[in-house]
Amino acid sequence: MWAYLVAVWQCRNFWLSLVVNDLQLRYRRSVLGVGWSLLHPLAWTLVMGAVFHEIFKQPIRELLPYLLCGLVCWTYLTSAFLQGCQSYIQAENYIRQHPLPLAVYPLRTVLGAMIHFLIAVVLVIVLTAALRGVGRPPEVFSLLLGICIFFLFGWAVTILAGFVNIAFRDTQHIMEVVFQILFYLTPIIYHREYITSRYVGWVLDHNPLAPFVDLIREPLVEGRAPSLACLGAAVAITLVTGLAAAISLGYQQRRVVFYL
Amino acid sequence: MASIELDRAGLTFRVRQQHQLTFKEYLLKGMFRQARNPLFEVRALQDVSLRIGDGERVGVLGSNGSGKSTLLRLLAGVYHPTSGRSTVEGKVSSLFELALGFEMEASGWKNIRFRGYLQGESREGIRRKASEIAEFSGLGDFLKIPARYYSAGMMVRLAFSTATAIEPEILLVDEVLGAGDLAFQQKAKQRLSEMMEQARILVVVSHDLKVLPQLCERGLWLDKGRVRADGPIADVIAAYVDQVGQPAAVAA
Repeated sequence: MWAYLVAVWQCRNFWLSLVVNDLQLRYRRSVLGVGWSLLHPLAWTLVMGAVFHEIFKQPIRELLPYLLCGLVCWTYLTSAFLQGCQSYIQAENYIRQHPLPLAVYPLRTVLGAMIHFLIAVVLVIVLTAALRGVGRPPEVFSLLLGICIFFLFGWAVTILAGFVNIAFRDTQHIMEVVFQILFYLTPIIYHREYITSRYVGWVLDHNPLAPFVDLIREPLVEGRAPSLACLGAAVAITLVTGLAAAISLGYQQRRVVFYL
Repeated sequence: MASIELDRAGLTFRVRQQHQLTFKEYLLKGMFRQARNPLFEVRALQDVSLRIGDGERVGVLGSNGSGKSTLLRLLAGVYHPTSGRSTVEGKVSSLFELALGFEMEASGWKNIRFRGYLQGESREGIRRKASEIAEFSGLGDFLKIPARYYSAGMMVRLAFSTATAIEPEILLVDEVLGAGDLAFQQKAKQRLSEMMEQARILVVVSHDLKVLPQLCERGLWLDKGRVRADGPIADVIAAYVDQVGQPAAVAA
């Protein structure tokens, strides 16, 4: 395991240069560059915010940072799952040419998503400060810890999604549908407390993605550490997916090339 | 010190008759799947035993589908033998299918970096060698445009320049040099022979029976995944031509 991570680190020049290239492709040739890519979550937040403000009479200052942060976290999680599906197929060229540790290719995918996420986090901080003043600064330690967990979980997920997609080529298609549904079953555009139905509540409490959203949102927007239950759940889920990713890497390292 | 040793190595592919499996198909046709989309086995290599030592230049020949490319991928470590053993020592650099390892949206300069890093070159090493690689490729200003716009010959120029500049101990070349123009082929031959002066291994697959003797002194004839002949290149080519029964192939 350790030797494997060292091998991944040794070819860092390769995957780092690819990540940089991906980002340049993503942000280039638009007047607003990075800002352009933040327009989507921002527009979503404003629309949702306006609607919720009208219907539920929620104060806009509380609502907007909460919505934006939730959307930003959700975008990261979905891109780990969905783009992760393509991580090996996209890298077929390299896999057929050179025997690098396979985890390198999902790492390229997840780092791209992570950098995009971090840029969006800055936007959340700015928006929160603008609306609520600087009275409630982000809880830095919990936030950094949360981002580390986010990264590890995302990496494990991209590794697994890539493998599943090799076995079943329509995985991404199915996941898009699932995530459409999950979006409403995760407390992103509403607070968990608003849901009073027992059944929906049960689903929300057992949604494996919900702790990850809270993990970032609590320190970032509310300025407090996430609850121990939330942190524990996120760490446990990350460990389980990480373990599954490590096992499948060990099993698939020599086989994937035959199934591409 | 570079060396290649295969001990009764075999490689069996398991492929599906039809396209790749989808989850939908898995659910809908679960019961009939085996009948409609069976797995079957392709024995790409069987019982290949081989020793290649320092300074040897080996030309691999054989008909299409005889396992030549599979052998090179096995040596590169991309495939692992499903039976037997393969031991390859030394820094390997490979030139396989043309588009392999090109990032199509990135410029030629960037692709020099990606290919260099892929083959284990350091950041400092690339910085030192990039201009030399660019010069050898002779691509000039084309290096500034995305690889998507390159012709096959231009890709070969760039790939070959990078693969040989990183000073590999083992160079594997699969049938791609033919895409370069005459001037570049001359340059490439020149460089290969320079490399060989430093006691390194070259394994090249080609159907060009005129070029092979210029590049190699040892020949390896693969037939249906087995080694049919292994020896001095002239003898192996003669045996191959004799068996195929087309002397015209030599004249061409």
